[in-house]
Amino acid sequence: MEFEELRKIWDAQDNQPLYAINEKAMYNLILSKKKQAHHITNISELLLIFVNIGSGILILILNLFKQSGNISLYVLSAWMLGSALYTLVRRIQRMKGDQQFDRSISGDLSHAISIASYQVRISQIMRWNILPIAVLTFLGLLEGGKPIWIALIVLLFFALTYYAGGWEHNIYKKKKRELEILQKKLGNEG
Amino acid sequence: MTQKEQKQIFEEWLSLHKALIFKIVRAYAFTVTGQDDLFQEIIIQVWHSIRAFRRESSVTTWLYRISLNTAIKWTKKEQKHYQSEAFDGLQHILQESRIQTDERLIWLYEEIYKLDEIDRSITLLMLDGFSYKEMASILGITESNVGVKINRIKKQLISKSKKYDHHGI
Repeated sequence: MEFEELRKIWDAQDNQPLYAINEKAMYNLILSKKKQAHHITNISELLLIFVNIGSGILILILNLFKQSGNISLYVLSAWMLGSALYTLVRRIQRMKGDQQFDRSISGDLSHAISIASYQVRISQIMRWNILPIAVLTFLGLLEGGKPIWIALIVLLFFALTYYAGGWEHNIYKKKKRELEILQKKLGNEG
Repeated sequence: MTQKEQKQIFEEWLSLHKALIFKIVRAYAFTVTGQDDLFQEIIIQVWHSIRAFRRESSVTTWLYRISLNTAIKWTKKEQKHYQSEAFDGLQHILQESRIQTDERLIWLYEEIYKLDEIDRSITLLMLDGFSYKEMASILGITESNVGVKINRIKKQLISKSKKYDHHGI
């Protein structure tokens, strides 16, 4: 067959639709998906901001209220509020950057890669962030006169969080790599 | 834009251009369940895209861009999750037409399905008669790159079709 013949075979299907649509089920689906419009990045950013602000303020208030003079907990509170501020600034930068991509498949892929890179970066930073928080919490508990076994259990909890963070980070890295492969395929000559 | 207006545009686009979406669904998803799943993903994206449509391109070009982009990303997801029958119990939106399909068309879809995600999108655009310029704009690559890819795919398809003819199927 020559190419023109392939085109004729291809065009013939326009007169005979391959499928029929169940319209009721389709509109039900649209209505249900509308409620899930928030992107996962958006949710994780907001979660990071609110959790850090909430925990930072709570630790600060408790420390002030008890007048314990526990320096580690003051540093921990400042660190968490700083982390929330950092995430907020990165969020604003990301949202500004969202407008810079053209409306082609390559542009969409670049956008998706940029979001994936952002997720990789933020998940790595937040994973590292667990280390100072764990150390400060551990020191704060000891300084506050808590038994060492409680401090060790808390440390174990942070270790598990660090491990889970690595798992999440690898998912983002894999997703980014797949998108980069796609873009490479698209840009390759031939 | 009100939801009523959005629905009106959606219905108009779907009634005029559903064949375009069906072709992409058929070229990117092999099983009936997969086709239904991909169709659902595409219509959701099309629905959300209505508010972003600025009439800078034709509706066909816009829908191709949205649908191909969704299909390319869906293929990645499908490779990971698709072996299970996790979709059982969901309400199906697509029902296969009972009209007898041309054997040569089935063969053509099979050959398109064997290509990688990017070459599949170029083949669909090529078969639907898009110009190099339009394809370059939809894909976001240069016209010369489109030309090189098309030449290679055309040669490949013609060579395979000759083998197909030769076997007299």
